[in-house]
Formats: sequence, C-alpha cells, structure tokens
Amino acid sequence: MSFIELKHINKRYPGVDKNAVTDFNLEINEKEFIAFVGPSGCGKSTTLRMIAGFEDITGGELMIDGVRMNEVAPRDRGISMVFQNYALYPHMTVEKNIAYGLQNMKVPKDEIKKKVEWAIDILGLQEYRYRKPKNLSGGQRQRVALGRAIVKDQKVFLMDEPLSNLDAKLRVSMRNEISKLHRSLGSTTIYVTHDQVEAMTMADRIVIMKDGVVQQVGAPMELYEHPQNKFVAGFIGSPQMNFYDVTVSGSTVTFADGSRMTLPQVIADKLSACGGELILGIRGEDIKFDSQNLGLYGESKQQAVIENTEIMGNENNLYFTFGGALTVARVSKYEVSRIGDSVEFVFVPHKMHFFDKETERVIG
Amino acid sequence: MRVLSRRKRIANGVLVAVMLLLSLLFLFPVVWMIANSFKPDGQITADMNSLSAFLPPALNGGFFDNYVTILTNTSFLKYMLNTLFYAAILIVLGIVVNGLAGYALAKIRFPFRERWLLIIMLLMIVPMETIITIHFLFVAKVGLLNNVIGYILPMIVNPFNIFLFRQVFISLLDDVYEAAQLDHCSPVKYFFTMVLPMSRSVVATVSVFTFLNVWNDYLWPSLVFTSSDLLTAQIGLGAITANENTTMGQTLAAITLITIPVIIIYSFFSKQIVEGVVSTGSKEG
Ligand SMILES: Nc1ncnc2c1ncn2[C@@H]1O[C@H](COP(=O)(O)OP(=O)(O)OP(=O)(O)O)[C@@H](O)[C@H]1O
Ligand SMILES: [Mg+2]
Repeated sequence: MSFIELKHINKRYPGVDKNAVTDFNLEINEKEFIAFVGPSGCGKSTTLRMIAGFEDITGGELMIDGVRMNEVAPRDRGISMVFQNYALYPHMTVEKNIAYGLQNMKVPKDEIKKKVEWAIDILGLQEYRYRKPKNLSGGQRQRVALGRAIVKDQKVFLMDEPLSNLDAKLRVSMRNEISKLHRSLGSTTIYVTHDQVEAMTMADRIVIMKDGVVQQVGAPMELYEHPQNKFVAGFIGSPQMNFYDVTVSGSTVTFADGSRMTLPQVIADKLSACGGELILGIRGEDIKFDSQNLGLYGESKQQAVIENTEIMGNENNLYFTFGGALTVARVSKYEVSRIGDSVEFVFVPHKMHFFDKETERVIG
Repeated sequence: MRVLSRRKRIANGVLVAVMLLLSLLFLFPVVWMIANSFKPDGQITADMNSLSAFLPPALNGGFFDNYVTILTNTSFLKYMLNTLFYAAILIVLGIVVNGLAGYALAKIRFPFRERWLLIIMLLMIVPMETIITIHFLFVAKVGLLNNVIGYILPMIVNPFNIFLFRQVFISLLDDVYEAAQLDHCSPVKYFFTMVLPMSRSVVATVSVFTFLNVWNDYLWPSLVFTSSDLLTAQIGLGAITANENTTMGQTLAAITLITIPVIIIYSFFSKQIVEGVVSTGSKEG
C-alpha cells in the first residue's frame, strides 16, 4: 500500500470562484522523492500546504500511512517542513532553533543533545551553532532549516522551494546535499519547485501541474521522452522543445512554410487515425547535422541559415527559422557553425512528438 | 568616514549652536527647579533676582535637607513606590491583554475583524476624560473604589497600544508560526515565547508609554483613591504641596523626585518613544 495518498483532492480558497487545485490524485510510496513542478500559481504550494495541514482540504481525502489526515492538526501528521524563507526563529541561536521542536516534544535532554550534535555535524554548522539567524548567509540559514526538520525523525519531509532564495552555484551544491540527506535518511519527501532542473535531478517521480490540474506524473526520463501533452513537452527540457503546426497526409508531413518530410511507415500508421492538422514537437538535440544521420534520413533533408548561436562550451545552441517557427538545435561543441552559415539537417523521425491541435494531447 | 565640505561643516556648527540655545530655553525651568530644591526658602528668595537662582548652593551639611524631609517626614517615598508597583502591574497586564488583542487583529481571521479594528481606532480619538465618568460609576458600583483592582482594571485596555501591537505583528512572517506549530509549540506558547521576543521593540515602546501614563496620570487615581495608603506620586505631590507646613524648597525637591524617572526614561528610550509616536501617528497621554 502506498504511504501517502491524495484522493480527488480539491481546493477552493474562500471568496475565489475558481479551484486552486482540481481533482489531484497521487499515490506516493515510502521513501520516495516526489517533486511538484509547474509555473507560478499552478497550485504546487497549495497542495503541499494541504498535505501539511496549513490549508483546509475543500474536497477529497488525504491519507498518510493509512490514516485519514483531513482533520488532523499539522503537528500530529508526522511531517516536517522546510520553508522558502527558512522561517527560522530569529531570536534563537542555531542550536536552539534545531533543538526547539524536540524540547517541546519532551524528548529527554541527553537525547536532544545527541540529535542536535548529529544534525549540526552532517550539515556542517559547527562554527555557527551559537549564532542567530540574522548573522548567517542564505545557504547557512537553509541548512539550519534542514537541521530543524531532520532532527524530529518525521517520516515525511515537505519542502516548498527551499533553494529559490539562493544563488545559482549554492543551489547546485544544496541540491546535492538534500539528495544525499534523502538517501541517508530515507524519509518520504515532497519537494515543490518551479525549476525543472531541480525536479529532474533530484526526484524519483515528478508531478507536473498547470492551473491546479495535474498534467502528468512520472519518472524524470519518462516525462522527458514521453510527454503526455504539449504543456509537459514544453515545460520539461531546456532549451524548450520546438513546436510546429503541420499537416500530415499518408507519410508526408507538410510544414507551414511548405517544407516536407517523410515519415517511416510505422509512425505514419499511428497517425493515420487522427491525421490532418497536428502539432509536431522535436527537441533541439534530436535535430541532426552529421553525415551519418543525413545519410539515414536523406529523403527528409532540410536546409536553413543560422541566425544566432549560443555558445555554452560543452554544447552549443543554433537558432534558425524553419517550418514557419524559430527553431533551436542543440549540437555538440565539435559542430562548428556560425551565424550566416547555411546548414543541412534532419529531424530524427522516431524522436518526433505529435500532439492533437485541439486537446494538445500526445498522439500515438 | 565621510568628509564634510567646509560649507556643510559650518552649517552643521550653526545648527548645533541654535539647537543648544533652544534646548537651554526649554531646560532653564528644570535647572532652576533642581538648583533651588537644595536651598532653604530664605536663600531661594534671596537668590531670586540673580544668576545664582540657577546655581545650586554650596555643598554643606544641609545640602540634602529638603530631600531628607520629603522622604522621611512625608509618605512621598511610599507614594512613589505605589506608583512603581501599579506601573509594573499595568505594564505586564497591558502587554498581555493589548498584545493578544493586537495579535488577533493582525493574524487571526474572524468575522468583522476590520470592523473591530475600526471601532478600536475610533476609541483612540475619544479623549480619556469623556469616558472616565463611566469608568468611575462602574468601579463605584462594583464596590472597588479605594481598591488597587478598581484602579487598575479600567487602565489595562488601551486602544493605542492595541493598534501599535497590531501594526508590528502584521508584518510577522506566517511561516514562522507554521514552523512553530510543527515544532509542537502551542498558540499561547507561541505568543509568549516567539511573538513577544520577536517584537521586543514594540514591547519596550508600550512599556515606556504605560509607565509614563501611570506615572503622570492625575485624574483617574484622584477619583479612585481616597485612602492615603494607596495614593500615587502625583496625588501625593498635590497633597504634600497643599500642606502649609511644606516649604518651597521641599516642594521643589518633591517635584524633582517625580521628574527624574521621566527624564531618565526619555533619555534612555527616546528611540522607542519616537517609534511609537511615528507608527501610530499620535501621542497619547
Ligand atoms: N490564501 C489564498 N487566498 C486566495 N487565493 C490563493 C491563496 N493562496 C493562493 N491562492 C491562489 O491559488 C493559486 C495557487 O497558488 P499557489 O501558491 O499554490 O501557487 P504555486 O504553484 O505555489 O505558485 P508559486 O510558484 O508562485 O509559488 C494561485 O492562483 C493563487 O493566486
Ligand atoms: Mg508556491
């Protein structure tokens, strides 16, 4: 049986005539690391706060470890939480911040001491133990917040954008620290972020939300390779997937600017049922310039003039107009093309995604 | 450090000189009072028309006579201690009651919250003198005249302080409260061990205002108290100066004694007082 269950969860804030979260269903296994991602305002925090108990659940049922939690007070749900703004107690030292919960829970003194020592140790806070939060950097504060969460031995960790106030470099190292902590503690974790890279690198499974509705749930690579709709396809991956309005008839794809490609028969067969006007999506790295691929898919070869380049070092992005849309291709650093160069390329056929124009759902 | 231009330095110097002169203007009655509080009446009259009216007498055996008389022959010391005691109680109760009310208005959602706030703010513009009769009638009716409780009860709730607390509490972060909840901290405990310590500055402001209020109040204690055991310093001062055996010097000594705490408070807590005045946009008392 799954450890946390969200069954048909709905949330409507009083005085708002629209759901913030609609029919949210999810089963989370013990020790799983789940990430909620989505654009701002999509209901990630609201869902997390319903799990924590800080927001009432308007409809549906929340189960943790087989017990209905809808009416249970936050402190009795067996959770700890890390907040975006750290939410440290400003008038207490690092040590007291971490110990505070245990003291209130009437844990014996020597045990508190041991636990606080342990947390301070693994989070590298030895030097700062007698400092107040205002004398710490953002990264140190967030580590104190983590310490406060882990000493309580709760089974569930909730984190709401814990790294969004940190600079890019620190974010990467804290990301690793949180992943490491999760592996060593084995607590079930729900992690809210609007940063798809964080979600991709840390989570076992990702929940993608939009306008309060879950779009897709799955392992990172599953979402990357098999997005269920155009929104997911566009949200996951950077640079964004390229989208084109196309017409498919038989095995021929016609783009808005008249360019044509030929599809392998298996793909054409899958599309035949709903042929006609579709959206074609392809990721930058699935646009190929090398002679081997050009040879393989030669009959669909296309041409374009590079309009812009982004040199990243390890790889480069090439921008050009094709099929009536600005297209970005991601190439290795050995692929040297400059602005103004004329290039030949192909789309790797089995990496193309087709979406219904109306519903934006994936086809095939 | 910033190097000021010559012109700015001169301007600064002039400004300081003007302020010094002005402050002397305000200080001179105080200086006169303190200087003469050490003199016997004969010398006060003799010095009246000379500059020595502003200088204390030579330090001799009788230097503190006026003070000794006031503190030993009258109950003035007792009155001052009474007042300190009332102030202490009212500071504690005032912080608890007004603080809780301010917290509710800032952070707890309940029906008509904004209306309540408005009513409390309206109370701020009603002068104390207009409701004091009602207080008096009430206290008399429940038989608490000449009783510390009768004196204290109507003084606890203070709309200014409620508003002051509310203004500060409203900016407290909600996630700290949520974190505290997960740390098994009860709401009451949260208020006393988190909210108040996090808002030390407003607690200090309210304490200072409460103290000054109690210390300087004349009307209310004069209505409630008749028994001389319970009198406050201000009432006591009135009684002592009205007594025809009290000399001018002794009167000045008593006034000096009653002024000193106020001066100390103002000089130590001017920051809090300014903060309080600025954040409520008004001065009470
Ligand atoms: N207390 C509230 N009262 C009314 N509406 C609210 C409240 N809190 C959030 N909302 C609304 O609910 C929706 C979801 O908000 P939520 O905070 O869950 O978004 P989010 O996904 O966490 O976004 P972000 O990435 O910006 O944090 C938003 O449209 C928001 O305006
Ligand atoms: Mg949020």
